[in-house]
Amino acid sequence: MNGWHGKILRVDLTNQKTSVEDIDPKIARDYLGGRGWAIHYLYNEVDPMVEPLDPENKLIFATGPLTATSAPTGNRYMVVTKSPLTGALAHSNSGGDFPTWMKRTGFDLFIFEGKAEKPVYLWVNEDEVEIRSAEHLWGKDVPDTTDTLLAATNPKAKVACIGPAGENLALMAAIMNDKDRAAARSGVGAVMGSKNLKGVVAYGRKNPVFAEEKKMRELSIKIAKEVGADMLAGSSLREYGTAYVPQVTNTLGILPTRNWQTGVFEGVDTIDGPTLTEKYLIKPKPCYRCPIACGRLTEVPDGPYAGKGEGPEYETISAFGSGCGVDNLAAVTKANYWCNELGLDTISAGMTIAAAMEMYEKGIIPEEDIGQPLRFGDADAMIEMVQKIAYREGFGDALAEGSYRLADKYGHPEIAVTTRKQEFPGYDPRGSQGMGLLYATSNKGASHMEGDVAYEEVFGVPIKEDPLSTDGKAELVARFQNAFTLIDASGLCVFLAVRYVFSADRMIWPVRLSQLMEYTTGLTYTPKEVLDAADRVYTLERLFLLKAGSTEDTLPPRMLNEPLPEGPAKGHVNRLDDMLPEFYKERGWDENGWPTEEKLAALGITK
Amino acid sequence: MKISVKLIATYRELLPEGTQGNKIEIDVPEGTKVSDIMAQFDVPQDDSSVIVVNGLTVTLSTILVEGDEVSAFSAIAGG
Ligand code: SF4
Repeated sequence: MNGWHGKILRVDLTNQKTSVEDIDPKIARDYLGGRGWAIHYLYNEVDPMVEPLDPENKLIFATGPLTATSAPTGNRYMVVTKSPLTGALAHSNSGGDFPTWMKRTGFDLFIFEGKAEKPVYLWVNEDEVEIRSAEHLWGKDVPDTTDTLLAATNPKAKVACIGPAGENLALMAAIMNDKDRAAARSGVGAVMGSKNLKGVVAYGRKNPVFAEEKKMRELSIKIAKEVGADMLAGSSLREYGTAYVPQVTNTLGILPTRNWQTGVFEGVDTIDGPTLTEKYLIKPKPCYRCPIACGRLTEVPDGPYAGKGEGPEYETISAFGSGCGVDNLAAVTKANYWCNELGLDTISAGMTIAAAMEMYEKGIIPEEDIGQPLRFGDADAMIEMVQKIAYREGFGDALAEGSYRLADKYGHPEIAVTTRKQEFPGYDPRGSQGMGLLYATSNKGASHMEGDVAYEEVFGVPIKEDPLSTDGKAELVARFQNAFTLIDASGLCVFLAVRYVFSADRMIWPVRLSQLMEYTTGLTYTPKEVLDAADRVYTLERLFLLKAGSTEDTLPPRMLNEPLPEGPAKGHVNRLDDMLPEFYKERGWDENGWPTEEKLAALGITK
Repeated sequence: MKISVKLIATYRELLPEGTQGNKIEIDVPEGTKVSDIMAQFDVPQDDSSVIVVNGLTVTLSTILVEGDEVSAFSAIAGG
């Protein structure tokens, strides 16, 4: 095969055995790769009703056809499994170096099955695959684990691993790669922990072969040059990372503040991008072969929050900053460092602490349960809670279950701002209507990465849509869901892909992405065909979700019944009911949200 | 009348030298349009900019009133 290797590495942790399989060429083409191949295997091999932390669940690492190619930002992989946080599907994306190295081992996918009796790690050195003991690593944090694994294998290899949070089955545990990059969401780290799999080390030189090497190189260079010129001209993403976004969302009145009680944060100037760049930025840090470099290598040089590492990105700032009412960027950055070291999703960790703060202030959670006060704005308490979550220590044990289970335990589930029990990312859907529809229907619970219509509602890419209007949002969300599925399946990063590999007028027509797929794989892929394939992937994911019993597409009561109290979106709630029926039609689903028989037949899916 | 102009992220550079933060208050005549302000600060008035007044979606021909806040940033994905 070209582009893909067509090889799956299966790792049976229970019996400590590995095996190699070829993928059926038709499945390969129809499901694109990455997230698409992964759902094909998950759907066909895992009972959707399985307990997510049971050995019967499977954990899939998946690269795409453009991973490890010359295509700029072809550096992604997806982690796909059944989520212990949402009880639905998890598909978490990450970049950095590891995904490229993983693909160079000669395998497109690693599928982990069963559960090792004792902690192990996997060492994939091309065809030499070993399951090794990781008992000496259990309890170690992410940087320490990474360094130890590299020393024990090959310093030129790359590592993905869990920290204490994953070992202790915190439901917001991430899988970290290259120390600071995270497949963060939906508790994928807890699934890895439940399998006693501490880490995966990858090294290889098996670069994928391109069907049309020259054309591939030319188009890649062309795209890289366009991006490079934009970066030189001055790009907010390069200069500030995504940390420039709090000013934008605050201006629109949708910056989550104090657990979504408002959308305007008085301390925004102290937690935004220019502050980060001026005070703590060492340098922008790119993922492998990325001309954008939105990553931030930072250092807080002194004071109580001193430290060095990567971040924070926007989502981290909106969770630990405005979300927790903390206007101290050093503290937010420190919370980020801890999350990276302990292996936690910053969104769910921060927003769960925010929910606990609201419940503490309202007298719902008594102080003796927490062991200390936990008020909005208390940066030290917030940071302490992060550590407690990872070790499930004291009150951290309750926090580690996520905000929904926490609020429910105290009899106030309405305080949790989640869909499918997953915490919202940093766009208040009362002031960005399409985002509400996206969160409500997303296959992985609330997420911006599954069809980020904030591109249009907030950022004006490729065109600006009124965020307060529901008009046309059903079509917009469906279109973006398919587009993002396609990007995830291909192995590119959305930041680059939306702007540079879809045509500029409307992102519905992925001309360049289909060209990249053709040049790589040698198969014919028209723009329509790649989008249809993305639709197929999305629909199969939806079936998994529905069969897992996660059938309700809704938003939490705060979003539907409590209007925003101030700012540009004052008085607005999310008008989900105005959009949902049209959205189901748009997707070819019946009035209950199930894909119709005709739709499944058109996509070639057998239930 | 007085209005304020907020230029976010890379557009901060378009504010007069010495401006503190990302916002400036200015005096403008009645009848001033959004496009007049954007021209004054050299903000590109095409799809490469997102321009809002008081956080709300507007057209370039919207006429400003006392106390309005005009904000602009470059249209680039993030988050
Ligand atoms: S844009 Fe940012 S996240 Fe995407 S590949 Fe580049 S550095 Fe990584």
